[in-house]
Amino acid sequence: MLQKLIFPLLLPLILFAKESCIDCHQEQSAKCEKSVHYTLSNAINLTRKTWGITDSNVTLQSIPLPKTKIEKPADLVDDFLRRKCLKCHPFNRSSGERGMKRGIGCLSCHTPHQPEGSCQRSSKITMKKCLSCHNKGFVGGDYQGLFPKDHHRSYRAPLSQDGHFPSQKYGIDHHTLISDIHYQKGLKCVDCHKAEEMRGDAKASCTGCHAAPSPTNHPDYHTKLTCTSCHASWNYTAYELSVFRDDTPDYAKWKDLTLQEDGYLTNFLNKALKAKKPPKPRMPDWIERKQAEGIWYSGYRYKRWEHFVLANYDDGRIGIIRPLFQYRISYRDRNGTMILDDVRTIDGKPIEAWIPHAPHTITKKAKSCESCHANPLIMQPYSGENEVLKLQVPQNMIGASPLSSEQIKRMGSVKYKRVRGKMLLRP
Amino acid sequence: MNRKWLLALLSLAALGVILLGITWRAAKPMPHITQPDQCMQCHSDMSDIDHAHPTEIFGCAKCHGGNAFATDKTNAHKGIVRNPSRLEHAVIFCSECHSDIIKRISNSLMQSESGILNVLAYQWGESRELNSTIGIDELKQEFNSSSLAQNHFAKACAACHINQDETVFDNPETTRGGGCSDCHRTSKTKGTQHATYTTRIPSSNCLKCHNRSNRIGLSYQGIFESEGYGTPYKEGNFSNQLADGRSYYALPADIHHAEGGMDCIDCHTEKGVMGDGKKHHHMEEAEDIKCQDCHTPKFAPANSLAVTLTDLNEKMSEPKTIGFTSKMNSPLYHLRPEHNGTTLYRKRDGKALSVTAMSNQPYHSDAIHQRLDCSACHASWAPSCYGCHEVYFENGKQFDWIQKKVTKGEWQEYRSFLRFESPSLGIGYNKKIMPFAPGCQVIGTLFKDKKVEKFHAMAMAGWDPHTTQKKSRTCVECHFNPATLGLGRGNLNIHEGNITFAPFFQSAQSGMPFDYPIDAFVSVEGKQFQSTSRKEARSFNKGELRRIVEAYRCILCHDSYSDPIYRDFNHSKVQFEKEETSCFKN
Repeated sequence: MLQKLIFPLLLPLILFAKESCIDCHQEQSAKCEKSVHYTLSNAINLTRKTWGITDSNVTLQSIPLPKTKIEKPADLVDDFLRRKCLKCHPFNRSSGERGMKRGIGCLSCHTPHQPEGSCQRSSKITMKKCLSCHNKGFVGGDYQGLFPKDHHRSYRAPLSQDGHFPSQKYGIDHHTLISDIHYQKGLKCVDCHKAEEMRGDAKASCTGCHAAPSPTNHPDYHTKLTCTSCHASWNYTAYELSVFRDDTPDYAKWKDLTLQEDGYLTNFLNKALKAKKPPKPRMPDWIERKQAEGIWYSGYRYKRWEHFVLANYDDGRIGIIRPLFQYRISYRDRNGTMILDDVRTIDGKPIEAWIPHAPHTITKKAKSCESCHANPLIMQPYSGENEVLKLQVPQNMIGASPLSSEQIKRMGSVKYKRVRGKMLLRP
Repeated sequence: MNRKWLLALLSLAALGVILLGITWRAAKPMPHITQPDQCMQCHSDMSDIDHAHPTEIFGCAKCHGGNAFATDKTNAHKGIVRNPSRLEHAVIFCSECHSDIIKRISNSLMQSESGILNVLAYQWGESRELNSTIGIDELKQEFNSSSLAQNHFAKACAACHINQDETVFDNPETTRGGGCSDCHRTSKTKGTQHATYTTRIPSSNCLKCHNRSNRIGLSYQGIFESEGYGTPYKEGNFSNQLADGRSYYALPADIHHAEGGMDCIDCHTEKGVMGDGKKHHHMEEAEDIKCQDCHTPKFAPANSLAVTLTDLNEKMSEPKTIGFTSKMNSPLYHLRPEHNGTTLYRKRDGKALSVTAMSNQPYHSDAIHQRLDCSACHASWAPSCYGCHEVYFENGKQFDWIQKKVTKGEWQEYRSFLRFESPSLGIGYNKKIMPFAPGCQVIGTLFKDKKVEKFHAMAMAGWDPHTTQKKSRTCVECHFNPATLGLGRGNLNIHEGNITFAPFFQSAQSGMPFDYPIDAFVSVEGKQFQSTSRKEARSFNKGELRRIVEAYRCILCHDSYSDPIYRDFNHSKVQFEKEETSCFKN
């Protein structure tokens, strides 16, 4: 059974790579098959754990087929992953969005030798290639200063000089915020993220290039901090993601919300809203690459670029975390029965995961001390009952744990004030 | 044959007598007092509109006109008006008793909307006159079809005014206007149930209009008009939507609402709402109430107006000593000195609320914060809608709320992003420091015949957002928060003695027709980027920005207002500059 499942997945790689790439690049191909680009195990297992499969350990190749009997979020997660998240994998060429077209297999990232078949070096991996997956609110989009706008039609502004809507990319329009200093200087993703990392042998780090941070600006009490804690300027934070699989043809209400960062959905809704006879609600399973019943809709509560919080990473460092995501889950079957109606907790715990995050929005000048030491999200997290403000307080973390009250106390200690005071008083 | 006919006639007569008897018995006995008009012959069972206007005494014709002494329907109904509370009717039918109020409300901003119209024309560069009183009535007489501002006003703003024609609305939930009824009516006429009227105005009536633009009515209840996601989905549908389909989410409501359950009229006096008779230019001129009227009240013996209003209100005892507003000296007949404190009786139900007196702690009494409006510290959030992208289609068609018909030209509205936290501060219309929000940042695209034109008019507006909390914003929230200072979102720092700021939002690259960040009222050098709609209103200037941020150097350690350095802060500063303070000891 498992083999039957994996085979269609591997087929393109086998067909394509076996005959052309693997002949020469056996070692790379073997390593690639273990890399997260190939298995997507991080994204898959994070989401499955968040949705209630605590011991999840699957890959793109071994993720089960979606369940047909749905009783709880865990029964729906594979369907959700296959149709909303796993659009981006090395065997899917396109999901309909501008900017998200790729090659298949090795060609997802690499451009073939030119002229084809010759043994000349393949051209460098362009940012366009990386951004074809690493876009929107994820690292990559932020590197270029892109911040996806809100979904509603009324956010399609400003209109261009000749009166057109701004151009969509990755299934949404974007605001432009300050971009990463490395981007401004012309560095591409692969200038830091080298081949070894892609194949799982190493990890890019700032210190790979910036060997010796000067001790005056990087004193001993900050040794555990990630560089991005101070040097990342803004941070994409999306509070609460409501997701809804609807197996009924109920489209009219989405007329102002056709842009949901999902090109297939946009095209589908645009057609469905015009059609005399509404089409059946169907959306592709991007692994099986065939249509399946139901449409997945989604929407946030609100998004911010100026918010961030710190936590203790499991590896001992202290750094930024953000929610990916805070879910509320609904499912309506074809008979119109709400099988899951806005489910937001599993065993009393919110369906959310705050995870370590390195915003690629680096600036040379670090943020002010106050960005953390007087950051109300860190120093006085909201303690009231308001549902909207409560979202800013992490409940569940994966890969990190909250700062202790002792740590927070230290951040506002007399010692801190003395050091900061000196900086402020005696320039 | 004849006998048969006679029998039939007799039985008919008998039936007639019986029927007459029945109707005679069903008819009401004649009232002891003389009937006010002949209308009562048919409408004797019409219910009262309120206790001040009993049908039995007023009859119908006094208010509705028609022919009071006609005995048949056709003649009786000639010339009657359905809604005599529309101002043009009220001036005829109600003036005998209410001439003062009718004159006042007719001159009020809620009728003329001249404040909105003139600020719009000013912002869009069509007028240099901020203090004009041209309003809806003038536009009805003379409409300048070449004025974009007037066009936009007619299509997008003019739906809301007191004397709007109620019948032009499709949705009963969003129906506005109707003259006095707009505010005073609490139920509609149904059969013999006459519409009911009150002076205990429910806030829902105010909310019919005060839910957009600066959204005071919504914010007061803790409703924040949101990004339009419609989330969370409930039963497969959008949740948290207003009657007109806009999305919202709940934020902490104003403490007066959350803890006191107070309605709009518990603060806003009849004079403040209906006007003092003068044609004002802007809302703040017409406004009567101030926070201190209740929180540091001045009591005096009740006057005759207070007695009348209390009597109409019916929910509280006769007033003896009451509060008065400091601006117009209006009686706050529901604010009374009791139990060594101040009690406010809610107008709608008479429930007693104990009013917290403003403390004379240093944070209120110190000289350094005397320029702050209460809202600068106590307004916890403010609806801030950045970028109001107005798109105009000259060849489109849209309903015109002044001409009451579909006319040429159509407007659509787009926006950039919303925020509620860290409201910006600036110098308000009263020269005090108060919250500011975009008001409005218009980036216009005009589709005219075959060409596209662009214009922009960026402005910030100061106002009290009505999100009051007892707990104030923190010192850092103002003294070291770039958004609050009006710089926008970004990284603020003090570097080698200089204040530096790196904004996040890149306007030009985001397609805006200007370079400064859209959320920046002012640059860190004190250059004001966006205009305001009041002569006195402005962003902080360079010196102020410097003073505010540099005070943070003290706040870092001296983070409590009870710290002795704040007793005479200027003196402390002099000592500090001379390096005589202990700050420099280690």
